[in-house]
Amino acid sequence: MTESTKALPATPSRPGPSRFVLRPSVREAIWGYVFVGPWLIGLLLFTAGPMIASFLMSLTDFDLLHADSVRFVGLDNYIQMANDPLVATSVIATFKFALITVPLTMLASLGFALLLNNRHLVGKGALRALVYMPIMIPLVAGTLVWSGFLNSQTGWLNDIIGAFGVEGPDWFNSEVWIYPALSLIGLWAIGNFMLINIAGLQAVPTELYEAARIDGAGAWTSLRRITIPLMSPILLYNLVICLIATFQYFTQVYTLTNGHGDPNNATLFINLELFREAFVFSKMGYGSAIAWLLFAIVLALTLLLFAFARKRVYYAGGDQ
Amino acid sequence: MNRSRSGPHVWMVLAAVVAIVVAACGGTTTSPSTGTAASAPASAGAVATAAPSLVAVTPKPIAAGPGPNGGKVVRWFIGLGTGGKPEQLAAEFKVADDFNASQKEIYLSVEVYDNRVAANQLQIEIAAGNPPDIIGPVGVEGLNIFRNQVLDLTELVASSKYDLSKVDPKLVEFWKMGEGSAMIGLPFATYPSFLYYNKKLFDEAKLPYPPTKVGELYQGKPWDVAAIREIGKKLTVDSKGNDATNANFDAANIVQWGFDSQWADNNPVAESTLFGAFSVVGADGETAQIPDPLKVGLQWYSDGVWKDHFIPTYAQIRSNLLGPDNEFQSGNLAMAETHSWYMCCINPAAPAKPSFTWGVAVAPAYNNTTTAKLHADTFSLLKSSKNPNEAFKALTVLVESGALLANYGAFPADKTKQQAFFETVNKQYPNVTIDWSVPQAMLSYVDIPNHQSYMPNYAKAKAALQALGNGYRTKELDIAAELEKLKTTLQGIFDE
Repeated sequence: MTESTKALPATPSRPGPSRFVLRPSVREAIWGYVFVGPWLIGLLLFTAGPMIASFLMSLTDFDLLHADSVRFVGLDNYIQMANDPLVATSVIATFKFALITVPLTMLASLGFALLLNNRHLVGKGALRALVYMPIMIPLVAGTLVWSGFLNSQTGWLNDIIGAFGVEGPDWFNSEVWIYPALSLIGLWAIGNFMLINIAGLQAVPTELYEAARIDGAGAWTSLRRITIPLMSPILLYNLVICLIATFQYFTQVYTLTNGHGDPNNATLFINLELFREAFVFSKMGYGSAIAWLLFAIVLALTLLLFAFARKRVYYAGGDQ
Repeated sequence: MNRSRSGPHVWMVLAAVVAIVVAACGGTTTSPSTGTAASAPASAGAVATAAPSLVAVTPKPIAAGPGPNGGKVVRWFIGLGTGGKPEQLAAEFKVADDFNASQKEIYLSVEVYDNRVAANQLQIEIAAGNPPDIIGPVGVEGLNIFRNQVLDLTELVASSKYDLSKVDPKLVEFWKMGEGSAMIGLPFATYPSFLYYNKKLFDEAKLPYPPTKVGELYQGKPWDVAAIREIGKKLTVDSKGNDATNANFDAANIVQWGFDSQWADNNPVAESTLFGAFSVVGADGETAQIPDPLKVGLQWYSDGVWKDHFIPTYAQIRSNLLGPDNEFQSGNLAMAETHSWYMCCINPAAPAKPSFTWGVAVAPAYNNTTTAKLHADTFSLLKSSKNPNEAFKALTVLVESGALLANYGAFPADKTKQQAFFETVNKQYPNVTIDWSVPQAMLSYVDIPNHQSYMPNYAKAKAALQALGNGYRTKELDIAAELEKLKTTLQGIFDE
């Protein structure tokens, strides 16, 4: 073999300009970056950039009205936040709301999906469209309609409750009933989650249900042992999105309470508190610090969810 | 890769990338949200904040050098108060165009922003070192936010010999509310407050109409807050027709109320001004105080809501019985204490027709003193104006413009222009005879210090006041204890 190698004539070097030739894998990687480039640039300019700016702002006492006298204050804003009772109130209010609305949303969207995926149901398409349609209504307009529907004096819901001889609650002025009221408003717009759940339901192989039926499983057992485990990735996705959105809740409470967080700060959620500090009181530095608190909370919860998902979520394709 | 096709292929891809980046950088109207939440609406609602879609209503290019007429550019910023509505723009631009055509020293450049974003926009312009010269029309509250940025006009008024004799001296005094009593505006538009009353409800209750002159007696007694309470209860009726003086009155089923301080911004300071002018800031400008008018006034309102029931609760105001949220227009509120600007909103939107006629009466007194809170609009100059003399000249033109007064529906501070305003409003209400002597009289009883006057950390302090204002209308509170808490809260806010 050595002799045959030695026997080969040496490749003559060609004259002309030298070329730097990249390996195919490197060329492929570069093209990958080229195609993902626009998104990366957008991420840097419109997400990462503002995030970095916001973090830097949170280390200053930046005030729009006195922009020329910005001072670096280090962690003062974070220390102030830790001692600010309103921030603590806003975190507690947000968690209280999330504890009610997230399970309710998940259950309701799954429930609707199961109902509207039933093979015996006639007019599935129309019904699904009806459930989905409220999402198309502008949020502020919808909230104003709900404020009339839930009004304790003349609202239809209290009229209906009153027909049963029970006095309806003061939905928007009670620190207890405001959360169910907001959850009710939120339930109106579960169409998107419902559709995602329907897609998940339709991906469950029907042979499994047949096999379960043969083995004597009822509807409840099928739901618990087949549907939910196989839908678990979808449910996880919905849960993560729902959680993030709940912690960013703003428009409805701003519309209902004119940005005050009534009654008695019960709806002064974190996002509303950060809006007030940054844009009403002009304390952009402090508002930025609260924004980072919100980010940290949402990130922590999301990581917890993913950690939980490792053992509870079934991926048909495996873990790779 | 085939070399013969790689050249055009590369250029096509690069062109596509450039196009996408340019499109992405061309501007976005939505705010970025965390992670992937942007694409999925949640049950709790949309992720992004509901930012108004209007930013600049009619942005005009800001001239860096001499204006088109060769004059120094003076920028006029509109939006902090009224003036941002599409139907108001034409008159504003005409005033500017006419002024620019009439002389060559100054070019008045107009920029208009939606009221919801104007304050923020101005803050950003100031922070960016690009502030306008004139701001207005703007009210007291709008100026509080920019108190440190507004120029004292005293010297300019003196040097230009501007004639202030056409306006009530009290109004000139009113605008000396800047730092160190600086004059931060010239009297332009005023919105005195008084009582609107529903004639139909008074006729049904067989009550005489309230007085139209300060000092006039009502049913042989002084026209004061006690009288308001007395007739307020008679004018408050439940679903069975019992009024609040009746033993069978059902407070859980009220369908008509006697009185409210309407659209007072949920601010107990504004509501309590009936009991005398005051400020929650001490003379040193730093110490929180709870003066007697606030103590007495807020207790009176609270009793009116929860004990005597002639003043509606927050939930009732938001119900269909009272608008929602336009109590006097609903026809179920007998007396509303509010400002002349409310004449915009008494009639329902067409094609609905008004269901009652109304009149105006003087504000009730307290301890023989009548106080009628005032809203007022003005035009101000910013300290950062590079051409203050030219800007002041343009400002005086705006202040004296009858066209702008009509445009804003404003009650003129200039007495010589008031008749024209009366005639305009009278045409809007052909079935109502408005006694204009009432608002004119109330201008002599304005609240100094004004209920919107400056507090340190104004926005936050106001939010604290509004929290109490919302609170006492939501449930019955221990007013004395709440005011003590308020004082502590305000002090903390002032000290920040």
